[in-house]
Amino acid sequence: MQKKWLARLYKNRQLVILVLLCLVFAVLLPRKFLTIGNFRNILYAISLQGIMICGATFPVLLAGIDRTVSGSAALAGAVCCTTIVSHGFSTGGTLLGVLLGIGVGLLSGVFHGLVLSRFNIPAFLLTLATSEILYGLVQTVTGNQLINVMNAKLFNLVGSSRILGVPVPVYILLACFLFTYVMLNHTVYGRHLYCVGGNREAAKLSGINVRKIIIVAYIVSGVMGALSGLVLSSMNQQASASQAKGYENDVLAAIVVGGVSLRGGAGTIQGAMFGALLIGILTNGLQLLGVASVYHDLIKGLIIIAAVAVDMYSSHKMSGLKRGSALRRMFRRHRHESQLKAGA
Amino acid sequence: MIVEMKGIEKVFSHVHALKGVDFSVRRGEVHALLGENGAGKSTLIKVLTGVYPKDGGEIVFDGKPVEIESRDDAFKLGIAVIFQEFSLIPTLSVTQNILLGKEKQKFGVLRKKAMRKEVAELIERFDFPLNPDDIIETLSVAQKQMVEILKALSTNARLIVMDEPTASLSAKESEMLYRIIAQLRDRGVSIIYISHRLEEVFALSDRITVLRDGHLVGVIEHDDIVPDKVVNMMIGKELSDATASRNLSVSSARTVLEVKNLSSLGKYENVSFEVKAGEVVVLTGLVGSGRTEVLRSIFSADRYDSGEILFEGKKLPKSTAKVIDRGFGLIPEDRRTQGFVPLLSVEKNVASTNYDTLSKHGFVLRRRERELGQRAVKIVDLRPANPAVPVGNLSGGNQQKAVLAKWLTRDLKVILVDEPTVGIDIGAKDEIYNFIEGLAKEGVAVLLVSSDIAEVLRVAHRIIVMKEGRIIHEFHEGVATQADILLAASGIRAERKEA
Repeated sequence: MQKKWLARLYKNRQLVILVLLCLVFAVLLPRKFLTIGNFRNILYAISLQGIMICGATFPVLLAGIDRTVSGSAALAGAVCCTTIVSHGFSTGGTLLGVLLGIGVGLLSGVFHGLVLSRFNIPAFLLTLATSEILYGLVQTVTGNQLINVMNAKLFNLVGSSRILGVPVPVYILLACFLFTYVMLNHTVYGRHLYCVGGNREAAKLSGINVRKIIIVAYIVSGVMGALSGLVLSSMNQQASASQAKGYENDVLAAIVVGGVSLRGGAGTIQGAMFGALLIGILTNGLQLLGVASVYHDLIKGLIIIAAVAVDMYSSHKMSGLKRGSALRRMFRRHRHESQLKAGA
Repeated sequence: MIVEMKGIEKVFSHVHALKGVDFSVRRGEVHALLGENGAGKSTLIKVLTGVYPKDGGEIVFDGKPVEIESRDDAFKLGIAVIFQEFSLIPTLSVTQNILLGKEKQKFGVLRKKAMRKEVAELIERFDFPLNPDDIIETLSVAQKQMVEILKALSTNARLIVMDEPTASLSAKESEMLYRIIAQLRDRGVSIIYISHRLEEVFALSDRITVLRDGHLVGVIEHDDIVPDKVVNMMIGKELSDATASRNLSVSSARTVLEVKNLSSLGKYENVSFEVKAGEVVVLTGLVGSGRTEVLRSIFSADRYDSGEILFEGKKLPKSTAKVIDRGFGLIPEDRRTQGFVPLLSVEKNVASTNYDTLSKHGFVLRRRERELGQRAVKIVDLRPANPAVPVGNLSGGNQQKAVLAKWLTRDLKVILVDEPTVGIDIGAKDEIYNFIEGLAKEGVAVLLVSSDIAEVLRVAHRIIVMKEGRIIHEFHEGVATQADILLAASGIRAERKEA
């Protein structure tokens, strides 16, 4: 009886953690934390990275990684804003700019997908390099100056207006989340994605077009990165050469904290969103408490380590190993290997 | 005698692996250890090299009784093992690898010149085609093996165990290894040689010890080595009729799969055969003879260079998805790495080959997917009968049944099966044979790759033997026995029967 209750609690542990965290901050910050305004702030703050997460989860599920989400965002923002400026802030120019911005993400995704599905290069290295290239292009496009689009009324509406009291970027995040949720859970593509991520060779021998799965994953990642870049430019009413820099680390941190395995094939978009919310709420609470921002990073780091530990523990359980001290497991693995080596 | 093992006993939790085995090796002889899979060869070697503690018996090394409790103990006595998988560090040089852990130094600084000279002398003494400065990963498999041998010799090894040393060598490289072995023997080094290639065992060995089911069957002196006699010792006479031989016959059904002059450079050459509806054709031969490669080419998992594959008289497309669409299925060689996705449930794994019927406009029909999972569990009698369990958590036999279910839920015409019962307990093995036979009865063409001779004789309608990428023998009609197949596979009776 008691065990069942605990099991249910464990299954919904992410929700439990969020509620507990909110309770702690609610006690520490009476009247400040539990307000509609504050929750609006939290959601607004995580919306940019949240949109990126909706895309970047795809490559991670394939045991890949896309470190260019921020680079795509920056270049998309820069291309869009320069287009708007060169078209005299007209509605047509704005639409064209948005399309070109999304196109940047699409191209970046197609490139990564083609290369990574064809060649056996670590995605980490490739996207590390292309990320530099993208930021290099941003500097060329912007001429290393701020591109001001204060006069683009239509464009800035996205970042500044609210519908039913909720900021527009939060709606965009919601739409992206729904898109990813449906893709991962209700389409053949999603099923195939988990197969390829979980065992590429088995997927290939089941007739799954592995290349197609990989290419689409990086396209989604690139486009969502670009989309968040447009939202960011709209919020700031400008594009800068270092826009969104470093966001990719926060995005990957949230995905890992949310229980998506870097080894691929396991994890959910709900989990990744939990990761984003956890980090978002924590940052917000610490800010309200007046904790110096230096400590924010420190705490974030500790949370990531905890998440990785949980991931390792549960994957051990998955592999059927009994519970035991890490040391004993290591020893057992060592013995096993030496026995294997000693002859077949 | 360099080593004498007397009355060695080894019991694992359920299996009595060694039942009072005597085994001795003379100074400067090549001594082959023969036996079928599971006869106890590996266990005996592991006891000798300190990997497993023995449960009874004694070991005398160089006239003195010894206790070998670890690899290190064996190493200190001068017993070295050359593994199939090398223990070399690929990015380091030949010199660094041979002297690994035995580096010469002065005041903590490596004496590189002295080390290089020592290795150069060693290489020269045996006249190996090696350079002390070569980086391991640039070397061929045969050269790596030479480095392993030199590594053993540099520690003054007096007894070298070679476990399937020629498994991944070309014919020419094998020749070179035979010369090296002869050279070592002439210098007084003793060699324990384990190999499935009977012809080379017969050519090389001074003596042969045969094991079967953990018993010593006999020791054969050089002059008494007669292939037929040795093979009979290996397989034993007290076998049941069911697996000792099999009546073969050519089916008169229509041809479903036809392979014509298929070649793939460096893998197999000029392979031709056909499989008829309801027929079980077995491709057998030693590991590395090209059987698996042929299977994978048919399934379009690998390319082939020339030749034709016809399905019901029409060319088979070169795309796995399209081949599956024509009604093909593949049970791959290594189920863990190729057969299933361990983290995903039985239901999702089974569904992975079935989304053509489980989806509409790219969206999954969840209800049908679930029904299929439940149906699959019933079809293959999975334990536990729960489609939500991740396949990685199942036992070996049930994992294989889950892989089978991926295809049994489809409308099959041809099934390609590769070593389906490796590492599976006897009960589950039988179930898998029943599925294969059941499929054949329904008219499915079955192409099975297997090294397990009992398995071959259990299910085969016809048997094709491959060696070094070529078909060297076919058993079409009449009675085939274990000895026939073993001798054909090792190339001793290599004349090809014309159909």
